[in-house]
Amino acid sequence: MEALTSSSTSIRSQSRAADMPSDDTLLGLFAQGDAAAARILTDRLGPRCLSVAMRMLGNRAEAEDVTQDAMMRLWKVAPDWVSGQAKVSTWLYRVTMNLCVDHLRKNKPDRLADVPEPEDGSPSVADRMQDEARKDALQLALEQLPERQRQAVILRHIEELPNPEIAGVMGISVEAVESLTARGKRALAGILAGRREELGYDDDRR
Amino acid sequence: MTMTEDEKNLDEMFATARENRPLLSDDLTVRILTDAEQVRLNQIKAADRPRRSYWARVLDGIGGWHSFGGLVAASAAGVWIGFAAPDFLPDPATYIYQQEAGLALADLDTSFLEGAE
Repeated sequence: MEALTSSSTSIRSQSRAADMPSDDTLLGLFAQGDAAAARILTDRLGPRCLSVAMRMLGNRAEAEDVTQDAMMRLWKVAPDWVSGQAKVSTWLYRVTMNLCVDHLRKNKPDRLADVPEPEDGSPSVADRMQDEARKDALQLALEQLPERQRQAVILRHIEELPNPEIAGVMGISVEAVESLTARGKRALAGILAGRREELGYDDDRR
Repeated sequence: MTMTEDEKNLDEMFATARENRPLLSDDLTVRILTDAEQVRLNQIKAADRPRRSYWARVLDGIGGWHSFGGLVAASAAGVWIGFAAPDFLPDPATYIYQQEAGLALADLDTSFLEGAE
């Protein structure tokens, strides 16, 4: 692993002098056996996967597993990747989103409210409650949105992807993306407004 | 369309969320790069495989050197039996030749002999 790190720094300093190689080029280099390319791709794309997964799942450990899984799929697809056909990041966002959705569906009955007793090996209710408490208001509101709206809002407003790219990630039209983000944002504002009143935040404000 | 107070708050929340996007932990980076390394080594191994010689691959096809020895012995026995058949086996060459001769006689048209008498 040490050799891997040092060789990647040399590539990185070279590439800073010239133009940064595209994700496409790096994936091609990795397929040809270049280990340093994997390091740069991880630095570049790993945090994006993690960010999306954290907002989709609201849990760091699960989001890390999803990120590792998504990146694994990237390494495996490298030899068959057709350069210029699709954006690597779009493909990876799509894979990450699908993994998150699978994860949410699999773990649905396992969520805090539905679990009467802690089982052996699973996080205790106290741990789960602490997890919940650590979430910011935005996260709690996002988790109340329907899946597709949540995806669209995260990609648009947290990842700041342009609508055509979101359309590519979600496999829908640009119009559908616009409608989902608009409805999602309205719903979020409503949830947060309700929550503020419920928590008495309004009294504290001026 | 003017922005409502709630929407303005929401935009502030998005901005905060963008600033606080999570970073990869060292542990996760190592996990991801270990996967990459494993995939890379497997791919190199897979790419090396077809580089073996033609004869090595032919031998693999028929089951390695061991089977090849058996194949050679069986073929040699077959050639020898064809060349000099042991007494207890009918000689295939003579058998075929006799059959052909018999057929040739049976098919012979002898009607012209009857007319001459």
